[in-house]
Amino acid sequence: MSVGQDPVSDAAPPSIDAVSRAETARLRADARLANTIADFFLDADGRLDERTRLTLARVLDGIVGAIEADIRRHAARLLAGAGDTKRGEAVLKPSGRQGGVVARLTRAGLLHDDELMDELIARVRHDLIADALPIAIAGPDEASLLVRLAGVPDSVVASAASALLAAESRRRAANENGTVAGSELSAELHHRLVWWIAAAIRADLRDATAEGDQAITDAALRSLSAHDEGDRPEAVAMRLAAAIDARPEELPSLLVESIGDRRLSLFVAVLAQATGLAFDQARGITLEPEGDRLWLALRAIDLDRPTIARIGLALSEADPRRDIEAFADALDGIVAVSIADARAAIAPLALHRDFRAAMRALARSDRR
Amino acid sequence: MTAFDHSIESAVAHAVIGLDGVLRSADPALIALNQRAGGELGRPLAVPQLATLTRLARRLGIVVSRGVVVADDEADIDLWVRAQPEGDTIRLAVSGWREVQPWRSTARTGDARAALLLGDADWRWETDASLCLTFVSLEAGPRHGFDAFALLGQPLTTMFALDSGADGALPILESLARRRAMTAQPARLRGSDRPVMLSAQVRHDTTGAFAGFIGAARMVQPEAPIPPADAPLSATFTSGLDRALRTPLARIVANADSINAQADGPVQPDYADYAADIASAGRHLLELVDDLVDLQAVERPDFTLAVERIDLADVARRAAGLLSVRAGNAEVGIARPAIDDHVWALGDFRRVLQILVNLIGNAVRYSPAGSEVRVMAGPTNGHVAVVVADQGKGIAHEDQARIFEKFERVDTSEAGGNGLGLYIARRLAKAMQGDLTVESAPGEGARFVLTLPTDTARGEDQRQA
Repeated sequence: MSVGQDPVSDAAPPSIDAVSRAETARLRADARLANTIADFFLDADGRLDERTRLTLARVLDGIVGAIEADIRRHAARLLAGAGDTKRGEAVLKPSGRQGGVVARLTRAGLLHDDELMDELIARVRHDLIADALPIAIAGPDEASLLVRLAGVPDSVVASAASALLAAESRRRAANENGTVAGSELSAELHHRLVWWIAAAIRADLRDATAEGDQAITDAALRSLSAHDEGDRPEAVAMRLAAAIDARPEELPSLLVESIGDRRLSLFVAVLAQATGLAFDQARGITLEPEGDRLWLALRAIDLDRPTIARIGLALSEADPRRDIEAFADALDGIVAVSIADARAAIAPLALHRDFRAAMRALARSDRR
Repeated sequence: MTAFDHSIESAVAHAVIGLDGVLRSADPALIALNQRAGGELGRPLAVPQLATLTRLARRLGIVVSRGVVVADDEADIDLWVRAQPEGDTIRLAVSGWREVQPWRSTARTGDARAALLLGDADWRWETDASLCLTFVSLEAGPRHGFDAFALLGQPLTTMFALDSGADGALPILESLARRRAMTAQPARLRGSDRPVMLSAQVRHDTTGAFAGFIGAARMVQPEAPIPPADAPLSATFTSGLDRALRTPLARIVANADSINAQADGPVQPDYADYAADIASAGRHLLELVDDLVDLQAVERPDFTLAVERIDLADVARRAAGLLSVRAGNAEVGIARPAIDDHVWALGDFRRVLQILVNLIGNAVRYSPAGSEVRVMAGPTNGHVAVVVADQGKGIAHEDQARIFEKFERVDTSEAGGNGLGLYIARRLAKAMQGDLTVESAPGEGARFVLTLPTDTARGEDQRQA
């Protein structure tokens, strides 16, 4: 080992490496500027507030991290079981070269998936708004709605209510600690995400082999078969709403009470059940800050002025994007809409989701 | 969303407002508030926040209640307002009436308190108004042996058996009755019967009614058996403590000092003061770490010191010099041995300085302003001694032995000191074949006498230049 200076290497001229590093830095600066400009001109309307943005990042990291850990662990176990411990260890540990699976998938543009992001943003917004809803108790010392439902003699309702209590606790723990038990995504989205993550894990390996590919495939398939989209709070809330099967005259109090118990998922599910919408549709219109489509949906199920006012007020208190003054101004107009008109107006929302998606895609291509 | 703290019961003031926004009638408190905002009876309500709420309730046709902060003369007042449409009028009920610190965001104080409370919890739980559990930290279940999912929807008492507090009362009842945070409710975890301490914030609904608890549970560690009195601290323990505490404490002190000095820009004066408190508490802890390391050293059976020839008068002058700033701040004078005094003794220079700094520091602390601490050095009965005398309130005879014990203090009501200084000082003196004694009577000050062996070789030089 040489101790003194090495006259040859120390006096080397600027290497190709330095030039390419400078070029990389320039490209990075260009990309950064482009992003900053794009950020500046972003429509304020479409911009996420910081809280939503941070929660979204945490949820996305949590979901991808949980699936990634599952696949890596199982694939490593399969390889180790086949006697290939070295390759098993390589699968188990991220190389660190890609900056993590989320970063890799983001770079590839895969996470820009409309459906996935729509679902995650809606979920995060839903949870933040639910958490911020003002509480309204039914009466002094009276149990809250979901606790009462969990104790009713009708076992179908009671078990669905207990399941919703549990599912929401699980979701909350995931949001607060980033400890995600599963993706809690719909089956299609989970399916898509699992294969993307499997591909990113493979890309991270130094040497891909047929055995490694097979192990990752088997681990991914295992993650897919273990996924139960019926466990999601959204699905459980829909089960509960279906079990309650509220009569029209029960709807106003059930909706107002679910909001007062800060069970926004139950509110959305009851609304979806009553209007024939899918949960994500009903959730979408419930989260829209303008609320126009929500008011129409509420009119379509014949809610009266005070009920709509209570719902609008509670949602405004919980969501700073909403304008309570504008809602108060519009309230008379909302109530003036006939039930038939309201139903006709929201009818397209109730169409099959694939049909809706196809229509949207067609409309987008027309605009181009 | 119910950021308003309803825990303080207060008068409710009512008012009636017409659909045109005109104030028809009101209780005196509201009339006064309205007047200060430039309004009067028979004219539109002049407090903007109340007017907005009234208008909103009128247009929505439902009860609207909300916490608002209104400016009233110099102060901001925190109010809980309920506006209820009734026929062709709106009835206002306004409660709260608490002055808020303008810099303290009212929306955050409740959250901050709850966060503080929940910060060191082992797990969290929440109930509804009927005290049924609506949330339990899921990760705590496997750790503490319960099924969180099975507990959801069940009464709080399914999870905990509540015990009465030290005064025989159940804190939870007090909390429910007064709508106040519950701070220490002893309980046992059902099933394992392990003790837990519960605390909780009260959650209110939009009308201010009790809507449930946001609670925390902390496992109570069983009291460790008290070690025998003379069990020495292990060397590894104290050196570990030293290593583990010194760096973070030093960082806390340094950062708190720079916040206090407003080094990085202005901060609220209150926060600067808090930072000073943090720094001083940090220094206190650093001293304690020093003392514990010393304690461990002096209690080792093989503890020895590097005894050499020292000039006790010189050490006393140096110790007095080190404390002159503190004494000056306390307006206490220190009379030290004359510069040409020399009192030769055998001892460890650093340790003797440590003892004298401790003695003079104590004397300054317990001296009334305007008095003097006298430090004298000279030969006594074949030994040499330094006397540190103060004019403080003195130490009762029965306390004079006690103050040399571990963790005992001259005056427990005084701030500062950890009760190790005198214990360590006496142990050090004895390790140098000397002693540390006290003579005092209440009201006559105290005289601490540190004796050390004389340096016989130089004995004849004592007190000579």
